[in-house]
Amino acid sequence: MKRLISAILFGLLMAGTASADQLADIKARNTLVCGVFGDLVPLGFEDPATRKPVGFDVDICSEIAGSLGVKLQISTVSVAARIPAVSAGRVDVVAAALGYTPERAKQIDFSSAYYQTPIPVLVKKDGPYRTFADLRGKKVSAIRASTPELFARQTLKNTEIITFDDGPAAYLALQQNKVQGMAISQGAAVGFRNRSEGSIVFMNEVLHWEPECIGVKKGETALLEAVNRALDKLESSGRLQQIWDKWFGPETEYKLTRERKVTSLAQFQSE
Amino acid sequence: MFTSTTFDILWQRDVQLLFLDGLRVTLELFALSAVAAYALGALLAALHFAGAFCSGLVQAFVGYHRNVPAIVQLMVWYFGVPQAFPASWTGWTDAHLSGFFYAVVALSLNAAAYISEDLRSGFRAVSHGQYEAARALGLGYVATLKLVLMPQAARAALPALVNQALSLFKATSLAMAIGVADVMYIARQVDGATYATFASYLVPTVLYLICTLTLMACGSWLHTRLSAR
Repeated sequence: MKRLISAILFGLLMAGTASADQLADIKARNTLVCGVFGDLVPLGFEDPATRKPVGFDVDICSEIAGSLGVKLQISTVSVAARIPAVSAGRVDVVAAALGYTPERAKQIDFSSAYYQTPIPVLVKKDGPYRTFADLRGKKVSAIRASTPELFARQTLKNTEIITFDDGPAAYLALQQNKVQGMAISQGAAVGFRNRSEGSIVFMNEVLHWEPECIGVKKGETALLEAVNRALDKLESSGRLQQIWDKWFGPETEYKLTRERKVTSLAQFQSE
Repeated sequence: MFTSTTFDILWQRDVQLLFLDGLRVTLELFALSAVAAYALGALLAALHFAGAFCSGLVQAFVGYHRNVPAIVQLMVWYFGVPQAFPASWTGWTDAHLSGFFYAVVALSLNAAAYISEDLRSGFRAVSHGQYEAARALGLGYVATLKLVLMPQAARAALPALVNQALSLFKATSLAMAIGVADVMYIARQVDGATYATFASYLVPTVLYLICTLTLMACGSWLHTRLSAR
């Protein structure tokens, strides 16, 4: 019975999703559809002056499209819709702070990590919380369906994790002492800390060191290899470093150094 | 792409426990909000007939709750109202008032506005002669309301009141936005952890259907019972 229900539902989902080699499709229509965030500075957001999507991930997408020799079309995705967007074929690739996890890798394929970020926890500066042990029995907010949520649940075993739909709500909960900490990816965390005018700080411990990858539909090996080649080329030419410095480097409010280079996925899976 | 293991999550013990927890929270949210909403709704409907000043206040209350989206009201209660508290309170309210509390407040106020309107139209269905006859028989205003008008008004308003119960039940899912771990919140959490999207949302669909169909059955049972007299 269980198998029968699964088989019927599976059949319904699969109906009409079969397609040929996606890389060939992309070349044929001369366009790469790339999913990025539409509202997360500095990864992907709308430039107020031009009303066009800009950001770190938009530049990465543009380089990949260039390397494939096709035009780029940007499509915005939400945190929760990133993976379904790729698996359903609404976008060809997704570049949206997509951290590698084995669970996600069952749904889509991951490229090499083009950058890696620590996942920090933010706390109030004047509060008593300095180490993860201090958060025992307390509450920590996170964005629903984000990897910080998953790693907070794994690492902070005796802490209640409360999720919200977006970063600002999770941050407001911390500001208003509804939670005692906030787990969020580093780029966004720096933004929130800088806007808090000194009232919010990073804890010294980090939840996880996360490889960020490009997501590709499962089984599209030609496309995946083409993306990996593009990333390797970006690294060796120094172009990736330039793009990083443009959005995260010393001239920006984030002042982040890119500590780890493009790393193939096999290295994480063997760790 | 979905793998054939997608639906297997529904047979995992920890996932089932999570959904059970979520169902408990949803039912608690609904039960507490419904009791408060029907009591407050009846009070508001009665106040509506108690002079121009009271009626004006009720109309303002109903106007706000019917014309501002419920999700906004929820956000206002959770994030907005506590900021207006005096600084000496906030330490206590932060520590003791959870998202669940604010969700019950917002949901019951919202539903009470609709319920009071339905009851009011129920009252209007009862002819004025009933009121005059009850008063002529020597019943006071409160006794007239309680013994004569309310039972008839409730009967006339019953279908609409059952509808409000259904709306309120479905509206409990909004509490997810302020971190209340109801069935819908659990569905998103399971989806986020497993990416078995279809299976994750199938569970709340079935659970909501079971609960709302049960409510509808209760409604029609009440309807036959009340109209049999």
